[in-house]
Amino acid sequence: MEALNYFALSWLSPELLALTALGTFLGIYVGAIPGLSVTMAVSILISFTFSWDVNHALCLMVGIFMGGVYGGSRTAILLNIPGAPSAIATALDGYPLAKKGLAGEAIGLSTVMSVIGGFVGIFVLAIAAPTISEFAITFQPRDYLLLAVLGLTLVGSLSSGSLAKGLFAGALGVLVGTVGLDPLTAEERFTFGIIELWDGINVIAAMIGLFGVSEALHQLHHLDKAIIKQKISRIIPPWADVRRFLPLSIQSSFIGVIIGALPGTGGDIAALMAYDQAKRSTKKPEVPFGQGAKEGLIAPEAANNAAVGGAYIPMLTLGIPGDAVTAVFIGALFIHGLNPGPLLLIEQPHMFWFTVGNLTLANIFVLIFGLTGIRIFSKLVECPKGVLIPLILLLSVVGAYAINNSVVDVWWMLAFGVLGYFMRLYNYPIGPVILGVILSKLMDENWRRAILSERGDMGQFFANLFSSPLSSVLFAAIVFALFTQTPLWTRWLKPKLFTKA
Amino acid sequence: MSRLPSRYPGERLFSFLLVIFSIFLLWRSYLISGFSELSSPGAVPIGASAMMVLASCIAFTQSLKTPLNQEARFFYHCFPPVVGFVMALVLVYAVVLEQLGFIATSIIFLWVALKVLSQRSALWSLGLALLSLVLIYVVFRLIFQIVLPEGIIPERAILAAISRFFGGE
Repeated sequence: MEALNYFALSWLSPELLALTALGTFLGIYVGAIPGLSVTMAVSILISFTFSWDVNHALCLMVGIFMGGVYGGSRTAILLNIPGAPSAIATALDGYPLAKKGLAGEAIGLSTVMSVIGGFVGIFVLAIAAPTISEFAITFQPRDYLLLAVLGLTLVGSLSSGSLAKGLFAGALGVLVGTVGLDPLTAEERFTFGIIELWDGINVIAAMIGLFGVSEALHQLHHLDKAIIKQKISRIIPPWADVRRFLPLSIQSSFIGVIIGALPGTGGDIAALMAYDQAKRSTKKPEVPFGQGAKEGLIAPEAANNAAVGGAYIPMLTLGIPGDAVTAVFIGALFIHGLNPGPLLLIEQPHMFWFTVGNLTLANIFVLIFGLTGIRIFSKLVECPKGVLIPLILLLSVVGAYAINNSVVDVWWMLAFGVLGYFMRLYNYPIGPVILGVILSKLMDENWRRAILSERGDMGQFFANLFSSPLSSVLFAAIVFALFTQTPLWTRWLKPKLFTKA
Repeated sequence: MSRLPSRYPGERLFSFLLVIFSIFLLWRSYLISGFSELSSPGAVPIGASAMMVLASCIAFTQSLKTPLNQEARFFYHCFPPVVGFVMALVLVYAVVLEQLGFIATSIIFLWVALKVLSQRSALWSLGLALLSLVLIYVVFRLIFQIVLPEGIIPERAILAAISRFFGGE
């Protein structure tokens, strides 16, 4: 009963309801406008909302997250430009549908399927999280360390073509997170005698630089890209279509939740995997995949929204973010004094049920805003980059300054912006850097706890690692994730295994 | 554009600089507490920077093997003048932000950036810069109550005068 009260908190308070609606509405636009991303919006927003009441700030950010994941599909369908990485798979069949004059129907169908996916994700979160969190209490420091390494390895190997570049980015993030006074011994780490560095590098400044400034600078390459407009027909999808594709959307949603729940994998990978699975399981599509198959639109859309609920599972139960967006989000939770981890559900169950209720509400708003206002929307997303980029840069500077009312954070933001620009240019992934920064403290603490409990004996550490089933599984998963990136797997084993199947 | 299998001009240099940077960080990590104990404050930094050295060396070696994209030019495809200009503009903005204050710096920044990037008339850019600034000011300064540097424009005095005017006092 108490859980239900907290679940309904954001539904019954007009202020929280309005903030969730506003967040979702803004999220849809942020997600849809190429060049703006949820990660960027949440990073900038943290600095503006950290003095707010935690519930208010969460409502706004949850709305932006939920709306943003869905919003990316709209420009993928209308302009063939995915507004977010999770919408890359949507463009494959969404844009051909729009070219056939079915843009409205495609948007309508993708909205309904996104919402179904969203509900499946939230449902699994509500059921699974309390159980996982009870189990997580038994985790040893060693297991946390392994989970964090697994997350970094997965995000590093999957987010770019090169494992080396991914691992470099993750390790850089971990190192950035260690700058400042050591929390245990107060020894200086990378401070170069500068007192301002004692508190470390501000995570939000780094986030705004990496996701806001570097993205804005990168968009300068596409200043003169012409936009091809599509005609929009009916938006509400036919009921027969919704019923026909319901099994596929449920199946894709479950793929989405599972992929989303794995540390290191998020909506983009979930969408691509669900697309691939739909392609295999649909024996006779009306239209071939890639030429406007509705199945090819539904599967990634259901999966990427289901991945939101999935990504919340490790975030709330273990304190481990799934991908860059959840890493930024976990940063926001820390700023607001919440400590995501197994104890969150025990010490602050109200926060958990509040989040579940809030996600459900945001999902309903996705449905409402998704099926209305599309004509105004198609006008707004045509906002020229020449206008958008100066505004993003201005907001980034203001956001970084607002963290501590200090120009030092603006310098950090700029430095990370320039670094991020060249990293993007030369195909070094950005996501693992921020994941590394967020996981750095957890890794540092748990490594030291784990090794102290073994009295500094590495042999004992490994002996105990292999005697624990959980640690062994996690260790094996890391080794496997690394192995799949070696030439032995990619050139020899993978073709052999998968061509037979 | 960054997903081509070939190498962009400057990638080798960038990868090489990352190797040097990683080695420097490894040395700094060693200075924290040396190899004294596995649980020392320097243990994780040494591990992370060693991983950076290893990964950056592999990435650099890969860049030596990848053929150069013959059509790509550094100052056109990688670092066009407009990117350099915007970086410099943001840098100047950050330098003068505290001295001149938020309003004065932002209006100049927005005006110049909008003029150059959207290639419209100076008057149009100024109008849009003013409009955007008013919106940003209302949302962030007045609603979100973010403290922004005041500088040369006596904002608080103006706001007090406006509220006195409307309050009738």
